[in-house]
Amino acid sequence: MIHELPNLVGRIEAVLFVAEAPVSLPLLAQLLAVPEGVVEEGVALLNARLADQSAVMVLRIAGGYQLSTRPEYAELVERFLKPQHQRLSRSLLEVLAIVAYRQPVTQSEVETVRAVQSDYGIRVLVERGLIKEVGRKESPGRPILYGTTQQFLHQLNLDNLAELPDVEGRDFSQLELDIS
Amino acid sequence: MAALSKGVPRTSERSVTVLGVVAPPPIRVEGPRFSGSLATLFQCVRDRKIDLRGVPLAPVCEAYLDYLGTSSNWDLDGAATALEALSYLLERKAWILLPTPEAEPDLQEPVSLPEPTTDLFDEAIASLRQRRDLRERLFFRGPEPDQDPYEPASEARPVTVKDLARAFERLLAKAAPIEFEPPTERRRSLSEHMRLVLRALSREGCTLEDLVPQPFTRSEAVWWFLSLLELIRLDQASVRLRGEDVVFSRKERPAA
Repeated sequence: MIHELPNLVGRIEAVLFVAEAPVSLPLLAQLLAVPEGVVEEGVALLNARLADQSAVMVLRIAGGYQLSTRPEYAELVERFLKPQHQRLSRSLLEVLAIVAYRQPVTQSEVETVRAVQSDYGIRVLVERGLIKEVGRKESPGRPILYGTTQQFLHQLNLDNLAELPDVEGRDFSQLELDIS
Repeated sequence: MAALSKGVPRTSERSVTVLGVVAPPPIRVEGPRFSGSLATLFQCVRDRKIDLRGVPLAPVCEAYLDYLGTSSNWDLDGAATALEALSYLLERKAWILLPTPEAEPDLQEPVSLPEPTTDLFDEAIASLRQRRDLRERLFFRGPEPDQDPYEPASEARPVTVKDLARAFERLLAKAAPIEFEPPTERRRSLSEHMRLVLRALSREGCTLEDLVPQPFTRSEAVWWFLSLLELIRLDQASVRLRGEDVVFSRKERPAA
């Protein structure tokens, strides 16, 4: 079917080229007025075309598609952009992993796992937009519940939480996460 | 009597101790009545296995301060744990030594914390780190979403944090002692102070000591320094090295 659609691959490329954030599959399908399966085929064709002659690729990240430079050009692009990489220390990664796997989770639940105070880690991760408040727990004091954000997926190069390795038998397919 | 052992355990090597989950720094206590680590001394005192009257605590405190002052890799959790242990020991000893008819109250014993189970997440953490490393090699169109709003502007890069700290240290050395004054005036906000600092900055630039009007207190020095850092972050001030001196100046704004 895809071959019957004139310049579908080019149209996908045009949208992804100007997009500053991942474009979701439903949105692409809606924009191009084709079924999602056709878009997926189109993206695969685009990626194959880019693989031959381009320094960019289509990446499936944070629940959508986005154009990215290839890793082999990282040094050059870094010299040009001079990005400020934020360090994620071991303790921040611990908090982040616990929130990712146990979400929605309260600060005290994170502290129970780590057995140390984690208010600093929670605060830093919220400031960096990697976790956010997702509600209040219906327990005494109604503590804040935290969950991961779309930024978390983007910064950790994940399309969705199911890509995380299986820990404690956690099944992410059951998790409906608000990542707006 | 007390000495600091070499080598501070790294986070991954820490064990669960009676003090909680973070081991205190390896301060050794040596004396006729007790020989061992600060953690062991704490445990023995808590369990009423040793009479604190035979254990001088001043050298232990000095070893702790020495640890804070000399160790290059101390961490806040370990330091806080040691401080908590020391304060516990001092309070217990004070009750023993002070002539008071009052009975020693039940001091709040540290609650034994649950064992950390973060090792369950080791695989996940390794995976996140790996993904993060790969992600840092990918670049996307548009603003990078992880720009830290608290990172200084890129122009400040040639000036290191040490340069800034040295400039601040020199300024603090000239500060007048703080005199107690009852709070009568409204506290000035940082943004108000930033406006004041911006007005004082010239395009040619000057050192921190020349910039801050004399005399000034340590608090005022802190306000000036913080305001400058914030102005640099907002790209309204710039900082550069002139020989050994750190020079702050007002940023040239392009004509509208």
